[in-house]
Amino acid sequence: MSALGALMRKELIALLRDSHALAALFLMPVVFIVLMSLALERLYEPRLDTLRHALHSLDDSAAARRLQARWAADHGPAVQLPTDWRSRLARGELDYVLELDAGFARALGEPGTPPAPVAWLHADPGLDGAARARLEADLGAALGELRAMMMMARALGESPSGDFSIRPFIGIREAGERPQAASSVQQNVPAWLVFGMFFVSAAISSLVVQEREHGTLARLVSLGVSPRSQLLAKALPYMAVNGVQAALMLAVGVFLMPLLGAAGFSLAGVSWPALVLVVTAISVASVGTGLLIAALVRTHTQANTVAPLCNILMAAVGGIMVPTFAMPAAMQAAARLSPMNWSLEGLLAVVLRHGGLAEAAPWAMRLVLFGLLALVAGERLFRRRLT
Amino acid sequence: MLAIEGLGYRYPGARQDALHDITLRLAPGEILGLLGPNGAGKSTLAAHLGGLLPIQRGGILLDGQPLAAVRRAAPRQVALAPQAFAFYEALTVRENLDCFGALVGAAASVPTALANAGLEALADHRAGQLSGGQKRRLNLAIALLGQPRLLILDEPTTGVDPHSRRLLIDRVRALAEAGMAVIYTSHYLEEVEQVATRVAMLQAGHLRLQAPMDALRARALLEVELADPPAADPAASLAPLRLLHSAGRHLTLELTRQDDPLAVLARIEQVLGPSARFRYGHSALEHLFHPPAEARP
Repeated sequence: MSALGALMRKELIALLRDSHALAALFLMPVVFIVLMSLALERLYEPRLDTLRHALHSLDDSAAARRLQARWAADHGPAVQLPTDWRSRLARGELDYVLELDAGFARALGEPGTPPAPVAWLHADPGLDGAARARLEADLGAALGELRAMMMMARALGESPSGDFSIRPFIGIREAGERPQAASSVQQNVPAWLVFGMFFVSAAISSLVVQEREHGTLARLVSLGVSPRSQLLAKALPYMAVNGVQAALMLAVGVFLMPLLGAAGFSLAGVSWPALVLVVTAISVASVGTGLLIAALVRTHTQANTVAPLCNILMAAVGGIMVPTFAMPAAMQAAARLSPMNWSLEGLLAVVLRHGGLAEAAPWAMRLVLFGLLALVAGERLFRRRLT
Repeated sequence: MLAIEGLGYRYPGARQDALHDITLRLAPGEILGLLGPNGAGKSTLAAHLGGLLPIQRGGILLDGQPLAAVRRAAPRQVALAPQAFAFYEALTVRENLDCFGALVGAAASVPTALANAGLEALADHRAGQLSGGQKRRLNLAIALLGQPRLLILDEPTTGVDPHSRRLLIDRVRALAEAGMAVIYTSHYLEEVEQVATRVAMLQAGHLRLQAPMDALRARALLEVELADPPAADPAASLAPLRLLHSAGRHLTLELTRQDDPLAVLARIEQVLGPSARFRYGHSALEHLFHPPAEARP
């Protein structure tokens, strides 16, 4: 067996016997994918039909009844309006109450603007912003459609009748082929896959510092094993670990998440060469980061602190923990500096937008360049530390 | 075989040399006991021999060739067993030997190494679960895999039980008898006395002494414990006798072959007072660590 082969074999044996490392590298990202996909499900598709709501209509007109029927059809049945509904809203026992004033139909059927609102949305202060915005948009659309119908009937001298929804007039087409709607699984599988893959940097840096403290690295130098071979013997097994991680995380998205009631992650139509290119590039970047950190830190304690901290910071900035589209412009600009963001964008370009090698290449090149620079810097520092 | 010529080294940013003008020789079959207090430069010298530090001044030759060139051509010729347990604790004893055996191109010698180290019964135990003595034996077994001509042992018996210490010392002696040159650093002076054929002592980076063990053993010492504190300054009142060490009522003198120990004792009692007890015999390494009384401030 060659020297490189012997050292790689040693890395794999040691890793397979380290239950903590296995849990950190494989179990933790799986748990993150499951928990975050389920927890953030409503962030991507706010469910308005399950909100606890009541209707408070002071107008008994046909227009008010039509709106109530339409609202119930779209947003689920309303609960009986309790007498203390305002305090129940404040306590979060109700999500919202839709109130129609006594002059609702009259104001809606007259030209001009009413002196005061005639339809009120009383919301629980804890109702999330996305749901509240959609409720407001739904109410605006329903009132606009109803008002348009009433004005038209008034002009024609007829009573409003038939379906008054404007929705059949609207269609949405997304640029490019996209088999699935945006969902938390779509975001979380690639995001936590990237996080898990970068976590090998913590394992590598801890391992290198431990071997330096134990004198094994010095012994290898004494036996004529070059620092480059030593680093390569760590890099290649952990790139294999990254490959297994990627396969496992994608399998969790495709097979496990639907069983848990979440939207499934589909790889149908994905370019496999592009996916392999991006995953390999992410691996080069994560392993390079690990070896650079290993060369920079001096003690085991530093390695155990610095590497996970770097990972968490890169994840927080890079759109792993919070999607970049939810960030303000300044943070989105900062996210573009994080290798984890390049990794995520590269994966999304392939698995979400079904991009090929051409679309994956810019992200992959950036990651490989970063990884190689980290490796070269790490090797130089590593040589210095060994002597 | 090994020739260290005027070796000097200063760590980056340090004010003083860690090694200064060290010149040493070692022949095949010799065991050089390398002594010195902490910070004396023993580990720095061992690191040079192990190829871990670049040579700044002077040189190290093996059979007349620069050590670095020898290491590049045949890294197996020199082996370093560091003070730390420089192996993989997650791997078994056999897996460790297989790994390092492959690195030095000596995979076939693993069974022999297991037997020589007395670790056959523990071959499938994880290295991290071994006792301190067993770990030291594994550390030595790994160093011997490549059948080196020069072996550097850095504190090889630290923290081991007497049984393992005896096994290690016997093994080192057998290796030297087979022609291997050994450099043996240790804090245990009695151990160095047992195993070394030559002794070198480093102090603050300087080589203070280098001598065959037999020559050191031939030195006659007279140790005296006075009944009361000395009545006069021992160094001044006993001249020209060579006072090696003086502390309170305890005196150590080095005698020549012509000196009569009883006559010397009588003179000591005459000028410093009666003695409570005395001992006369050959030198021990312990006295190397005590500078002569006249050399102390």
